[in-house]
Amino acid sequence: MSAERDPDAALMLRVRQGDTRAFAELVDKYKQPVMNLACRMLRDATEAEDLSQMVFVQVFKSAHRYKVSSRFSTWLFTIARNLCLNEIRRRARHPADSIESRHPEQDDQAAPQFEDKTTASPPDRLLHGELEEKIQQALAGLPENQRLAILLCRQEDLSYEDIARVLGSSVSATKSLIHRGRETLKQKLKPYLQTGAWEEPK
Amino acid sequence: MTNDPICNRLRELTWRRKLTGAEEAELRSWLETHPEARAEWEAETGLAAVLEGLPDAPVPSNFTARVLKAVERDAAAAPRRPVWQFRLRWLPKAAFVLTVLAAGLVSFYLLQSAERRKLAQSVAAVADIPSLPSPDILQDFDAIRASSPAATPDEQLLALLK
Repeated sequence: MSAERDPDAALMLRVRQGDTRAFAELVDKYKQPVMNLACRMLRDATEAEDLSQMVFVQVFKSAHRYKVSSRFSTWLFTIARNLCLNEIRRRARHPADSIESRHPEQDDQAAPQFEDKTTASPPDRLLHGELEEKIQQALAGLPENQRLAILLCRQEDLSYEDIARVLGSSVSATKSLIHRGRETLKQKLKPYLQTGAWEEPK
Repeated sequence: MTNDPICNRLRELTWRRKLTGAEEAELRSWLETHPEARAEWEAETGLAAVLEGLPDAPVPSNFTARVLKAVERDAAAAPRRPVWQFRLRWLPKAAFVLTVLAAGLVSFYLLQSAERRKLAQSVAAVADIPSLPSPDILQDFDAIRASSPAATPDEQLLALLK
């Protein structure tokens, strides 16, 4: 893919030359999808935020290795995937250790402030919060690759070929991962899917 | 669920996004001919809605600024390599090439030595054969040869052969 066809690739070419404004544009564009992925993979907002930050720092540091022939988003999500899997494995080895504890230099920073995007009334929020928790639990119960495949699948600018590249597998294997993951989710969430209780609160 | 190509295509689209009006109409008409798949499709679209409905993870408003700060901090913390290190970047490669060359030369030398050793062993084996009789015993050879009458042709046999 050429830089003319992929505007992100053009930005990355500028990042390679040390252009921090181009880098900030990329961060602004992708911070939400990267945070969503990290949050659903790690199930911890603070750790997801630290990890997302690490993803972008890694992007900046490895800018010289980025090949314009590949899509930027594929490359970015590959970095995000690798860091998420590393973190999950690290957690399995050292359950009490958090990402933040490995970066003591950041201790002086203010705690992350989250904006409340919910506009629903308290009872609706409670019901939705409960449902959301069930969905998150069901997602968390999936094997890592199935979970990643399902989450990346919601990323509209990634084709199945791109998702397969991020996961390092074939397109058919990727579709099979998504199918199996979704079947498991359907089984686990059956009561909610039947009642339609997932629908947005009015 | 069925392996019908229309169903598969629509299902793969449902995994990624909401179906468009035309695609939904196509699905409805497909379901009319395949009513047995209706329940499965309801679960499929239900799950799609569930995943779609998941709220975005909260991103702090100063996230980009923090990333930029982290990048700056990282660059400052990274030990600056002196210029001579950049100039000597080729050194590991050259060392590798030299090692390979040296290994090749040593193997060649060892191979040649082994061949020479073999040759020397063969020569030694030939040298071990008991010595030939002295040439002194041939000193009367010419006299003996001259004294013996020369062989004459067998006239009778030649006549018979004719």
